[in-house]
Amino acid sequence: MKRTYFGGLILLVSMGLAMLGPIITVILWAFAVKWRYPHLLPTEWGMKYWFAMLGRETVITPILTSLALTSIATTTAALICWPAAYAFARLKFPGRQLLLFSFIAAQAVPKFALFVSIAVIFLKLGLVGNFWGVVVVQMLSAVLFMIWIPTAAFRGIPPALEEAAFDLGASRLRVFLFITLPQAMPALAASYVLAFVSILFEVDSALLIGAPTVTTMPLLLMSLSAQVIVQEAAVLCVLIWVPCFVLLLLSRRFMTARGIAQGFGA
Amino acid sequence: MPDVAKPSGGVAPGYTLSTGLGSQALAGLALVALPVGLLVTLTLLPTVRMVAATFLVEGHLSAERYFAFFNDAYTMANLRYTLEMGLVSAIAALSVSFGIALYLRFSAGRIATMIHGLSLFPLFVPSIIISYALVRFLGPNGLFQLLLEQVGFTQYRTPYLTPVGPFLAFLWENIPLPVLVLSAGLSQVSDHAVEAARDLGAKAPRILWEILLPQMRRSLLIAFALIFMGIIGAFTVPYMLGPPAPEMMSVFMQRTLGNLHDPASAQVQAVVLMVISSIVGGFYIATMAKSSAGAR
Repeated sequence: MKRTYFGGLILLVSMGLAMLGPIITVILWAFAVKWRYPHLLPTEWGMKYWFAMLGRETVITPILTSLALTSIATTTAALICWPAAYAFARLKFPGRQLLLFSFIAAQAVPKFALFVSIAVIFLKLGLVGNFWGVVVVQMLSAVLFMIWIPTAAFRGIPPALEEAAFDLGASRLRVFLFITLPQAMPALAASYVLAFVSILFEVDSALLIGAPTVTTMPLLLMSLSAQVIVQEAAVLCVLIWVPCFVLLLLSRRFMTARGIAQGFGA
Repeated sequence: MPDVAKPSGGVAPGYTLSTGLGSQALAGLALVALPVGLLVTLTLLPTVRMVAATFLVEGHLSAERYFAFFNDAYTMANLRYTLEMGLVSAIAALSVSFGIALYLRFSAGRIATMIHGLSLFPLFVPSIIISYALVRFLGPNGLFQLLLEQVGFTQYRTPYLTPVGPFLAFLWENIPLPVLVLSAGLSQVSDHAVEAARDLGAKAPRILWEILLPQMRRSLLIAFALIFMGIIGAFTVPYMLGPPAPEMMSVFMQRTLGNLHDPASAQVQAVVLMVISSIVGGFYIATMAKSSAGAR
């Protein structure tokens, strides 16, 4: 018994170091004013670099670009995918299984290679470096979350309630708005959050389709990370990631083995 | 953990709205038309066009671009490096995760809960954040080196800009998925089977090898396929942490397209990667189909 306890403790400490160490380093850097080798911790703390960063247009513009891009892409994807998810769950139509499956199969295509194929077409059409070109391509990253999680949610709602409401004379729209939708809401919200965060941090399409005219937050982070002043990239990381982390924690119930296997896998 | 994301399980099969089948079929098709259209225009068509374009050299069919690909030593070195990285990182991630899942299967309490939480933490950290964080943590004069020097170890050599850098990042990123998949699998191995084996005098390695591993084979294969596909297609991690040469395929493609302005070669590289990925993906889908058929 004692042996497993100490084994567990060693595993816990080493995992804590490996899993949290990198992120803790970034958080320390974000609030460090002076941190020189060989000091284990910063010798001077403060928010100096936060004010410096947030006062610069070259920092604010990419953040706003990213927020606009991500909101538009995620919301549009939700508007077209959620009704489709409802159809996949509740309606019978020819090719239903095959089409649903095609959304999973599409994930087996390596994204970066796919974006190369799109970039070549966009180059010819003059869409490279175009804001809306990036929006359309980034919607692809949302589609899987927005189809798969909501389809599962709509399927999981027991039909008895809806049937009872139908029997009492409620119209289909009324049943959908007052019975089906409220029950599916947590899953829909989670799918929105997962898609939003994955698009917000997406590098591949921003780099191939957006650069050099559309600079997104991840591209800014990449260019800052190569610079001498460590704090700038660290501040940006903490500023953008922490709110997303909280949002993702709220949606964690929907990050199941199967959902991840299909969503994050490829 | 409740498995919510499971449409194919068919929780409410055959439930239909009370309209005629014709109008329902039309409504269904109309509702799915837009996302399916997006998939067709931005995945199927570009892929098909790209494959066709790579075989079209100055107006006639030719495989010469592929000959050039497979005869170029640098290209082949990149391809080999990519596949080796996928193989080694995926096996390492599976081994570590299997250890964690085993520990979680046979222990309970606060420490186990905390280990479980830590093992899922990477799910909440995007690639670009962890890549940058690892540069700062493992890089020269990073926190890891400082910690080692606190305990008197001064011979630290940073893995940053060597193949070990992306390897560690891939390992870090790919712990949660196999921990979830393997924990689900291990929870189905009955305590009785393990206890019976133990009563008959079987030691831990033998229990692992003869009872646990055979039952986990399918889960391990599925997790391996997913991780491998994710790694060979990855861009951010090798771009930020890897050596300048050899390059992983996505970094190579980016440079070929963006810096060398050679879309023809970039497309060949993309097609080769897609073919490799789809072989592994096909295998994954076949395994998934088999296991869900078995579950019914």
